[in-house]
Amino acid sequence: MVRFRTLAWLALRNLGRELRRSALTAAAMAIGLALLILSRTLADGAHEDWIDSGVRLGAGHVTINAPGHRDSESLDDRLTAAQLQASLAAVADGPTPDPPLASVRVSTRGLASSPEGALPAWIVGVDPAVELAFSRLGEEVVDGRYLEDGDRLHAYIGEGMAERLGVRTRSRMVLTAQAASGDIEGQLVRVAGIYRTGVEALDQSLVHIPLGTARSWLGVEGATSVAVLLAHSSYTDEVVEGVRDSADPADIEVVGWPDTHPDLYSALKLDDGGDWAFHFILFAIVALAILNAVFMSVLHRQREMGLLRALGLSGRETGLVVLIEGILLTLASGIVGVVLGLAVVWFFFRDGLDLSGLWPQDFNFGGVAFDPVLYPVIEVKHVVQSVIMTVAIGLSASAYPAWQAGRLDPAESVKVE
Amino acid sequence: MGENSNSGTVPDAVHAGRSTEDAVQPQGHAVRTANLWKIYPQEPRPVEAVRGVDLVVENGEFVAMAGPSGSGKTTVLNLLGGLTGPTEGTVRIGGQEITALSDRELARVRLKRIGFVFQSYNLLPMLTAQENAEFTLLLRGVPARERRERVRNLFDEIGLEGMEDRFPLKLSGGQQQRVAVARAVLGEPDLVLADEPTANLDSATAEALLDVMEQLNRTRGTTFVFSTHDPRVMERAGRLIRLVDGRIADESTPDGA
Ligand SMILES: Nc1ncnc2c1ncn2[C@@H]1O[C@H](COP(=O)(O)OP(=O)(O)OP(=O)(O)O)[C@@H](O)[C@H]1O
Ligand SMILES: [Mg+2]
Repeated sequence: MVRFRTLAWLALRNLGRELRRSALTAAAMAIGLALLILSRTLADGAHEDWIDSGVRLGAGHVTINAPGHRDSESLDDRLTAAQLQASLAAVADGPTPDPPLASVRVSTRGLASSPEGALPAWIVGVDPAVELAFSRLGEEVVDGRYLEDGDRLHAYIGEGMAERLGVRTRSRMVLTAQAASGDIEGQLVRVAGIYRTGVEALDQSLVHIPLGTARSWLGVEGATSVAVLLAHSSYTDEVVEGVRDSADPADIEVVGWPDTHPDLYSALKLDDGGDWAFHFILFAIVALAILNAVFMSVLHRQREMGLLRALGLSGRETGLVVLIEGILLTLASGIVGVVLGLAVVWFFFRDGLDLSGLWPQDFNFGGVAFDPVLYPVIEVKHVVQSVIMTVAIGLSASAYPAWQAGRLDPAESVKVE
Repeated sequence: MGENSNSGTVPDAVHAGRSTEDAVQPQGHAVRTANLWKIYPQEPRPVEAVRGVDLVVENGEFVAMAGPSGSGKTTVLNLLGGLTGPTEGTVRIGGQEITALSDRELARVRLKRIGFVFQSYNLLPMLTAQENAEFTLLLRGVPARERRERVRNLFDEIGLEGMEDRFPLKLSGGQQQRVAVARAVLGEPDLVLADEPTANLDSATAEALLDVMEQLNRTRGTTFVFSTHDPRVMERAGRLIRLVDGRIADESTPDGA
């Protein structure tokens, strides 16, 4: 213990003696780490944004439905009223700080027609107040208004559909689909408002109608699905597990967004790969900076190393002094890097990084439209990962010079001048 | 760290059973080498720096090694301290063969039993004079106050009073050399190996240093082996060994041949 304290003391004195060099090395590492953290938080922010945009217009972070419904999309595979109640209760009970937003939906494929024509439609019965907060489709309104509580025979349709069917706000149109009974039923609705998301597939086919209207038209009591929106995508697995475990009527299916949005998921994975490549380069630069600094200082101090040996330190202990120097440098840089990185994130990007100049209008990716303003998200797990990797690299980069120092021939070393 | 691998702090067992060869090593020899060779692989041909040196130094001796530049003095001292391994032959320190020791065991022997003074640049530049001088005491866990006191007393004796907190770069060559000697002596080793310790010193300082070493030699029985070109050192030596071309050419004692 005395020995180790002495070695650590020597390492500290060495760093102190070459304060400028130590500070420069530490600064290089710290900046590397800060960049890493900045890039991680922006990437995490972008990803969270993509996921959020994707699941809002789609099936939510978590989707609850009857088994088989995701394939069949049939009203036959639906949640009963009892299953629906149990599911909602389980969601409300979940692990998130605030109860998540749960949108009860009755959806079906059908046909939208007007005197001018007909189009295949994806018709979704929603609770207007909930859905307004959920999909934000109501914010994309270009004419008229979104659905409201108390609406009965209203529909909210996309710009593409309005053009193709030649309808406008307040026009009437007919929705036709197969009801639960098996009969084809028509429903007359009036256009309450028209939206534009920029995603053509959506704008041409997605129709929102009030939940009550959908239920009575299609003869359904429960729902086809419950879409759950979480405060953060990282809660997904936990919520999925929680609902699976607690939902009493066992015969329901609970899945997370990667299953319901496979394109989005693979797009994110692809982007992650790119990030890793970038981070790898950053790490390599940091590693070389440390390696160079520690190595130079060892070469520089061969004589001292030889002297330490003559004074009774073993080769390993001499190497340990060098290693401790590397560790101290790395730790100092780690702390400075984290603080610097988070500070930069906080001071410069708190209000978002606006990329609208770089992105084409109505940019969409994996069927999802994106907000061109990037908000960094500080994910503790990723920050910790960055720190661990930097420290690991700092250690391995000092390990080699340390090993070299331990192997120096003492008689040769004391001769170096 | 494994204790009890050492011996040889008993300076009085000096002559007991000196002639028994290898079986049980008596405590008597501070240093004993047998057919010591050091060959440096070099182009165009290897350098034979040390060529079959048989050297016996008794406990408590004050020995000087002289010889022309390149005759192998430094190499011999490095071999004796285990800083480099011989190409052939053995080195025993206080009866313990060190040529076979692991690096760790060697480090331990150096710490406990050997003090070094090199030709130049002896000090650790990141430590003050005080810290340099007390370094081996620190490694052995001697309490701070005692270290301080011992350094101060010795510094006063060798003209370094008030220099305790200076860094080596702020000391003259002679002052640095004195700190190095102080360090070698303070650890109270059995054996001090000094490579031209007075080379950079003026006479007064050199004499003061030699006084300190001689005193230690007399009171504690510490063995000294020097290399030197300095007649002042040779004069004081109990025995003078002349090295020529890596061999012991002759030996003399001041009161004899
Ligand atoms: N590492 C080495 N590689 C090759 N040759 C070496 C090495 N070290 C020393 N020598 C050679 O070994 C011989 C002995 O050198 P050494 O340093 O022991 O001499 P010295 O007696 O101490 O000389 P000086 O009085 O100049 O200090 C010299 O010829 C030297 O060139
Ligand atoms: Mg020499």
